[in-house]
Amino acid sequence: MFEPSTMLWLVPSLPLAAAILTAFLGPTLLKRFSHLPTILATAASCAVAVLLLAGMVGSSGPLAAKGYTWFQAGQFAVTMSLQADTLTLVMLVTVTFVGTFIAIFSAGYMHDDPGYPRYFAVMSLFLFSMTGLVLADNFLTLYAFWEGVGLCSYLLIGFWFQKPSAAAAARKGFLVTRLGDAGMILGIMLLWSQFGHRTDFVSIFHEARSRGDVEYLLTPACLLLFCGAVGKSAQFPLHVWLPDAMEGPTPASALIHAATMVTAGVYLVARCTPLFVLAPAAQLVVGCIGGFTALLAALIALTQNDLKRVLAYSTISQLGYMFLALGAGVRHEGLAIFAATAAIFHLFTHAFFKALLFLAAGSVMHAMGGVIDVRKIGGLRKILPITHWTFLCGALALAGLIPFAGFWSKDEVLESVLQAGEHADANRAVYFLLFAVGILTAALTAFYTFRVYFRTFWGAEKVPHEAHHPHESPNVMAIPLIVLAVGAALVGVVFEGATHWFSHFLSGATSFTMLNAPEPEHHTNWLLILGSTVAAAGGIGLAAYFYYLRPLLPILLAHTIRPAYELSRNKFHIDEIYILAVVHPLTIFAAMCRLFDGIVDGVVDLVGALPRIVAKALQPIQNGLVQFYALVMMVFLTAFLTIFILWFRQ
Amino acid sequence: MIPLSNYLVVGAILFVLGVIGFLTRRNMILMFLSAEMMLQGVAVNLVAFARYHGNLHGQVFTLFLITVAACEAAIALALILMLYRQRKTLDVSVWQDLREPGQEPTVDVEPPPVPAVPAELPHLTPAGIAPPRPREESHV
Repeated sequence: MFEPSTMLWLVPSLPLAAAILTAFLGPTLLKRFSHLPTILATAASCAVAVLLLAGMVGSSGPLAAKGYTWFQAGQFAVTMSLQADTLTLVMLVTVTFVGTFIAIFSAGYMHDDPGYPRYFAVMSLFLFSMTGLVLADNFLTLYAFWEGVGLCSYLLIGFWFQKPSAAAAARKGFLVTRLGDAGMILGIMLLWSQFGHRTDFVSIFHEARSRGDVEYLLTPACLLLFCGAVGKSAQFPLHVWLPDAMEGPTPASALIHAATMVTAGVYLVARCTPLFVLAPAAQLVVGCIGGFTALLAALIALTQNDLKRVLAYSTISQLGYMFLALGAGVRHEGLAIFAATAAIFHLFTHAFFKALLFLAAGSVMHAMGGVIDVRKIGGLRKILPITHWTFLCGALALAGLIPFAGFWSKDEVLESVLQAGEHADANRAVYFLLFAVGILTAALTAFYTFRVYFRTFWGAEKVPHEAHHPHESPNVMAIPLIVLAVGAALVGVVFEGATHWFSHFLSGATSFTMLNAPEPEHHTNWLLILGSTVAAAGGIGLAAYFYYLRPLLPILLAHTIRPAYELSRNKFHIDEIYILAVVHPLTIFAAMCRLFDGIVDGVVDLVGALPRIVAKALQPIQNGLVQFYALVMMVFLTAFLTIFILWFRQ
Repeated sequence: MIPLSNYLVVGAILFVLGVIGFLTRRNMILMFLSAEMMLQGVAVNLVAFARYHGNLHGQVFTLFLITVAACEAAIALALILMLYRQRKTLDVSVWQDLREPGQEPTVDVEPPPVPAVPAELPHLTPAGIAPPRPREESHV
């Protein structure tokens, strides 16, 4: 009964049961206690995941649980089965641990909301989909749960659907990720058709690796799969939905758009490492898009005034880092494992500090009556001490200052890019350029993070009039902040910096053991550590100078470089470009289609109206006069006889 | 001999006159009269063919025709009587109720002339009473 394989089913089923229970009984029975099923189910899933992980530390063989057959076509069958290797378990523990504390925080944050049960039902559904996604053992099951997390994201962004901007943002998020999903399903179909007509990961990877010279097939397939990752993980050019997704409740943003859903793309590419290793061109594209997005998002975040927007762009930027690492595997198997491990480690630490930052922003919003514009708040460190110290922990982790978590993972990412530059067959200069971009982005990250930190928590005390009585958050909100702050501080050094447990554990993942590469030896690159620390400290110092010591200087600087400042503040006009280039042509096309549809409708209506028109034309014949009927009879009889006689004359 | 076609033409003329009368008359009794004339035209046709073929088949058929015409007359006149009792007129154009719903009734552009009723009807001697005659002297 408590076989590890059967315990696998508990991990997604418990949140699903909580979702169904909360959806059906929440408004009627549970009401103010609607948070209980979700919190209990998520905590239980976390416990099961930790148990499974502990069980797998010694032996790194994957677990498998056979499910029911979804559909079957001839010899091709797709089953809803689960598998759990070390990569899956790392993701599961991250998702459920952070999810539990976010659920606890939400119980306090969403306390007075009329949609309380709906929120927790959708959150549980999301956790079901996300855990199902990482537990999937074939592409189609993964795609089904991929769409499931997209749906829950739509439901949570549009939680306050009566607000038109929230409804529009939910639609935008769903449609933009759908664009990426179109590419992804094409990639899945390409892999299915070319590599043995199976969809499960292990079969496709073995088939691809055993056949030689398949790079011409793998490059488009990997690029198409990456399309899905670009959509879901908000990389350029499909990053436009994530800042607008901040219309949703802040804990939802913390869960979905910081810690878990947006990392699904990173998980997919890491899982497909055996395929990407054989297609270095695709990896180059992944790395370039990741690096470019990281820099772009950092430049936009420099001038934003909404704290949640800054955090959203920061998420996009950090996801860019993860893809930068995933693109650094080139053709070298050992380097690919190291780079993918760096990406997943950055995912792990990012989940902690980004969720922490979002929850702290939620705590600030809770105290300030919903105001999150940094221009309207200031000097909050005396009013909100716990929020202040936890936000500082998160900000230091994001900036990547030693010994906080972000430092170790960012260091590994940059190290992998540097090694890619050394080991690549072609385009070496590109990798060194990407490394320079990474260092620059690290400095910018530190700067913009501490810019909002100083403007929010230091300086003169400024409280907006919406805040009736600003007070520190209640315990139900403060305790998750503290737990996540401890995580953000320690998780890097404990799991990787001092011990290398993380990379050793992750090397047992099926995608990595398949590559048959020796475990890389860990040599510390002191020059890199020095360089990234200087970049981070420089960013923090510059932000302190600008926003604490000389508050008037940024205004002067913004005025001096007005064009660049405006360009950054307007998000480089990417949304406007999309409206002009994509939305307007589609609107015109839709109008044309509506016109054509009107014509078709008109034709059909005409055909339908034809009998009535003919009847109206023939109606005067029936006028009730006997002699008229007799006349008509005589006329036609005469005509008939004439024709008859003439015909018989021949 | 008189050629057969002459007789057939006579029958045809009777028939055509009957048709024209049926189609153009307003009085129901006169419409019926014209229908009877159509039947008579057919009868002439049948008798002519009997003479032409030299047997009496045509004449036998004509006897049937006349019998049927008599029965039909009884029924037709009963129907006309009923219709007269409804509307108190023998005009066939008042009966348009079986037209399509939504059709306007056909009304005369110029109404037919109503026969003038004389102001004073002539006085006739009452029947059954011998009229006065001058006394005649007999010279026997």
